[in-house]
Amino acid sequence: MAPTTCTISLTVNGHPHVAGVEPRRLLVDFLREDLGLVGTHIGCEHGVCGTCTVLLNGASIRSCITFAVQADGAEISTVEGLAHGAEMHPLQDEFSEKQGLQCGYCTPGMLMRACEILAENPDPTPAEVRSAIASNLCRCTGYQFITEAVIGAAARMRATKEVAS
Amino acid sequence: MKPPPFSYAAPTTLAEAVGLLTEHAEAEPRVLAGGQSLIPLMNFRLAKPGYLIDLRNVAGLSGIRREGDILVIGAMTRMSEVERSPEVAVAAPLLAEAVGLVAHTPIRNSGTIGGSLAHADPAAELPAVALASDADLVATGPAGTRRIAAAEFFSGPFSTALAPDEILTEIRLPLWPGGHAFVEFSRIHANFAVIGVAALIDLDGDRIGRAALAITGVAPTAIRATAAEGVLAGADATDVTAAAAEAAGATVAGLTPAGDLNASPQTRLALARTYLRRGIELATSRARNER
Amino acid sequence: MTTANRADAPPVRDHSAKRRWVGQSIRRVEDPKFLLGRGGYIADRITPGTLHAAVLRSPHAHARILRFETAQALAAPGVHAVITGADAAELCDPMPDFGPDPARHTWRCLAAEKVRYVGEGVAVVVADSRYLAEDALELIAVEYEPLPAVVDPERALAEGAPLVHEALESNCAYERTFDFGDVERDFAEADVVVRDRLRWHRSGGQPLETVGAIAEYDPGTGSFTIDTNTLSFTSYLFMAANTLKVPANKLDIRPVPAGGSFGSKLFANKPAVIAAMCSRATGRKVAYIEDRVDNISNCDHHGSDRVYEVELAMMRDGTMRSIKIDVIDDYGAYIQFGVGHHGNALAQVVGPYTIGSVRYQVRAALTNKNQQGAYRGFGSEVNNWMLEQMVELAARELGLDPVAVRRKNFIREFPYFIPTGNVYDSGDYDRVLDKALELADYDHWRAEQKRLREEGRYIGIGLISAQERSVFSATEFWFWFDEPGAPVTSTPESVSLKVDATGGITAILYSCAFWGNSPETMVSQFVAEEFDCSPYDVSVVYHGSRDGLPATGPGGSRTTVMLAGAVEGAAAKIKEKARRAAAHLLEIDPDDMEWSDGGFQVKGDPERKKSLGEIAVMLHLFKHSFPADMESGLDGSKVYDHPYTTMPSADRKDLGVFYPFMGHACHVPVVEVNIETGAVTFLHYAAVHDCGTLVNPRSLAGHIVGGTAQGIGTALYEEYVYDEDGQLLSSSYLDYLIPSAMEVPEMTIGHVETPSPYTPHGVKGGGEGGRMMAPAAINAAVNDALFPLGVRLTELPMTPERILSALRAAGRTGGSTG
Repeated sequence: MAPTTCTISLTVNGHPHVAGVEPRRLLVDFLREDLGLVGTHIGCEHGVCGTCTVLLNGASIRSCITFAVQADGAEISTVEGLAHGAEMHPLQDEFSEKQGLQCGYCTPGMLMRACEILAENPDPTPAEVRSAIASNLCRCTGYQFITEAVIGAAARMRATKEVAS
Repeated sequence: MKPPPFSYAAPTTLAEAVGLLTEHAEAEPRVLAGGQSLIPLMNFRLAKPGYLIDLRNVAGLSGIRREGDILVIGAMTRMSEVERSPEVAVAAPLLAEAVGLVAHTPIRNSGTIGGSLAHADPAAELPAVALASDADLVATGPAGTRRIAAAEFFSGPFSTALAPDEILTEIRLPLWPGGHAFVEFSRIHANFAVIGVAALIDLDGDRIGRAALAITGVAPTAIRATAAEGVLAGADATDVTAAAAEAAGATVAGLTPAGDLNASPQTRLALARTYLRRGIELATSRARNER
Repeated sequence: MTTANRADAPPVRDHSAKRRWVGQSIRRVEDPKFLLGRGGYIADRITPGTLHAAVLRSPHAHARILRFETAQALAAPGVHAVITGADAAELCDPMPDFGPDPARHTWRCLAAEKVRYVGEGVAVVVADSRYLAEDALELIAVEYEPLPAVVDPERALAEGAPLVHEALESNCAYERTFDFGDVERDFAEADVVVRDRLRWHRSGGQPLETVGAIAEYDPGTGSFTIDTNTLSFTSYLFMAANTLKVPANKLDIRPVPAGGSFGSKLFANKPAVIAAMCSRATGRKVAYIEDRVDNISNCDHHGSDRVYEVELAMMRDGTMRSIKIDVIDDYGAYIQFGVGHHGNALAQVVGPYTIGSVRYQVRAALTNKNQQGAYRGFGSEVNNWMLEQMVELAARELGLDPVAVRRKNFIREFPYFIPTGNVYDSGDYDRVLDKALELADYDHWRAEQKRLREEGRYIGIGLISAQERSVFSATEFWFWFDEPGAPVTSTPESVSLKVDATGGITAILYSCAFWGNSPETMVSQFVAEEFDCSPYDVSVVYHGSRDGLPATGPGGSRTTVMLAGAVEGAAAKIKEKARRAAAHLLEIDPDDMEWSDGGFQVKGDPERKKSLGEIAVMLHLFKHSFPADMESGLDGSKVYDHPYTTMPSADRKDLGVFYPFMGHACHVPVVEVNIETGAVTFLHYAAVHDCGTLVNPRSLAGHIVGGTAQGIGTALYEEYVYDEDGQLLSSSYLDYLIPSAMEVPEMTIGHVETPSPYTPHGVKGGGEGGRMMAPAAINAAVNDALFPLGVRLTELPMTPERILSALRAAGRTGGSTG
């Protein structure tokens, strides 16, 4: 069967895009290859590890099990949209401060998930953070310093009332 | 692990969607809801639909409303919406609890209640909820709309009573606001459940009046635990331990589960017994606390 | 066995100098790019116009390949090439292989005549996109003649088993028994012999990023350039050049940051070879990135897979005399690293104990599975587990307190030579144990255990004391043979330091990989320590293999020590020249100059000083200000060889020193075992590690937690499960279960530092330690929990199925009737 192309319109990190995509093109490949936003990574391609997590209309999704056509009309947020110029988002800065990353591969997905966690609950307990980040696998850190980083960022964000992503 | 090619349409009306299913029947069409079950299968190339009909833009398929004693949920309602709904929490707390156990938040943000039911994974939570709740599943095809009782809906692993040209449009759950519990055993938090139990308990004074139980992981589909229900009818709700154990034993006695790399048949029976007991005890305690 | 008659120890170093940067938990230098999503991993570097490869994998565990039908695939849209295993055998020689008999267990990048495991690659398609390449894979028809598969290692070694490699005429790839010390006497004199059979099933690194390579063949120069996220043993990259049939100086392999490895990217050259082969065949740049199923089934890096029969000879008072170890290791279908994993075991085979003699019988079995490679611990973690299981069993059988038994046998004089000949350079095992008991709140949990048992709950406390060796020598790859073909002795690491005209320092690392370890931070801290600059002002560059200095790369927790030595050596050369230059500029005798606070000054006189920057600008630009023999510029390189390696004796009764920088740890997990479900949950987890002087304590703590998380996986969740037909049942993350944040407890970490006498600053390696301890500790905890029920687990992972099965067998659970 001849490949068809669908036209999609979406906003990514605040920038509007119109693009033609094959219906089967996965959102993660669209972001990485068509838009050059390689910060979102591929881990398992079957929706288990969470490495590919981005936000769609503020809600976390797994971009490896989402077709780009399913993001038509949506606002997507990726890790590239977190920092403001040279100034890192409090989550990014806390991950650095607490050493919440080692290889960095799960980190973008973890950061986006953390944005959603803190948007829903700006003052979580460590147990709540740990339970919430269970959606995202990390093979390096054992999750402890990630949890500390999210708690640290939550405190800073409450203090400055910064709106997450 | 890239999916195979397919033709795609995103119709805006149900009639259009049904029409496309019929028109492209030879291409082995499937409807696309959240895709959280279908797309992984396509990435593994275990599913190769030639045509995907995306329901995301079809009007009228989402939403939660009451129709008297029935809670009606549109098939395309995202699981996260069901999870957070105050309506569901009050009218069908079993569903609220179960949907919160489906995988992780990101899956629930995309995944839909209808998608999960139509996918009919034998390990999934929602089919057990539908069975225990005596839900009706509403389907629309070229010949019109029909209601399928949950007891008739799940026909085998990944297999339902839906015809290839039918679309599940809504789930109708009789209210059961009181004693409820969904308990499950999975090896990794929020992974597929090895065993899951949906329990609904209604009291009649100090006794159990009505019990509805369903269990996953012990048969090719989720099943009603009717033997357990029989034992529980009339049991003393103030100390349900013995009855719960007996009820669990009665169900387990009739089961011949298959084994897999997670659990042998013997282990599944042991877990079924444990979780039936736990579900019954928790649902009964909640029923009592409600009063 | 202490120092007395040993030769060749390096000089003992003085570590009294105060350190300013080494020992600080500074933010990692590497982090900003990863946090911004600019990590530059291999898949991020695919440029437009690059073709994509996808590999067709065998569905059979064991089969002859009869024929291929590739015409349809070749004609498919976007396809540039289809290369079968038979084609590949013409285009490439076999893969680099350190195994015992590569000619007779030949390993190729794609299977040529026979497939030997489910997932083995049989063909590769190159197309415009990965999507199109996978479409074309489905159009390839392969005719197989299935053969009986052999999956159990003991059956593989038995008479009449199907042969994985006919040419080898056996499934036993290697067999040898070593005796160190007087085993027979020690067993004869023992009061009690404790016996057990133990089974450790294979798990693996499974980093979130798979292995990938982007290769370009330039017909104009006959050279390959390959970017890949795999490295190590770079001195052996000429073997990959051989595979590709080019001279070694026509192959440049360039490292890129990797999203985790844990061993599984160590010398993982198959994707690089496949991409390179495809590039040469198509005349285009080709990317081959494994997908997850490729990586689970076809990665060449499964972990140890062992059956142990062990006897521990004890005296009634708890003294350990001797140990006999009979181990069968299931290597899978190939054996690329030989039995090096057992060298890792022999480096610390007696643990922290004064066991006087060892018999080690190892048999390497070949089966129809993916081959073993490296997984954090590289086989020593399995020995730790086995030994601590035996210590626990012995304590039980003798009615002795397991903590007291450990103390009774602790080594206390260092350096200490164990029966195999390896040395433990330094340690203080009592101090680690004391601190662990304190952090673990041991007495409180023993009381809790008692109280909760009365409530029908089964709590267990696991306490293990074990070693974490670091910095391997090349000898451990060949002391297995009396007449090794290549008795190599080099495992260097190199660093070049360049001071530019502004005094800015660039550190060049050769073939050193970033895998989640922190080489840039380590090097920056070492450079800062040497030159009193800020670590954040150091620029670190990763140099490719071809025109670089010799390097071995990460592995065996060697990076920190080796980089420390290389930086020290390079810095010394720079300082020597800078001293002379400053002295010349100040018209002072160089011997009257001292390094102080970023420059050279007249001794005791900070007023007469030249900073490194002042010296550098003069050396770069003002040649005539210096003596004729002083070249312009300011830089230094050091090829740092392993500082302490000694040769094995000819009779192999003494293997020499091959893994001298010996760390140690004590882990104390507290678990609850649910006897209805077989679930194991953590109530507490304390761990104390001693890896000598710490460079970045926070960083090391992160590795301890992360390594422990992987150890939890190995102990409870992770297994590559092959059924009896060799089908891989755990072929995706749905079934290969990686612990999430809910399966890993918060840990209480303690540090003890007994510096190495032989290394710069006294550092030892520590990156693998968490995983080297946790499986042993968790098994001990589960067994402690179930002891009152008469149940002891001796097989990992301790899945709910295995726990419930053991409880049923002991008549201890009501799940036995239907």
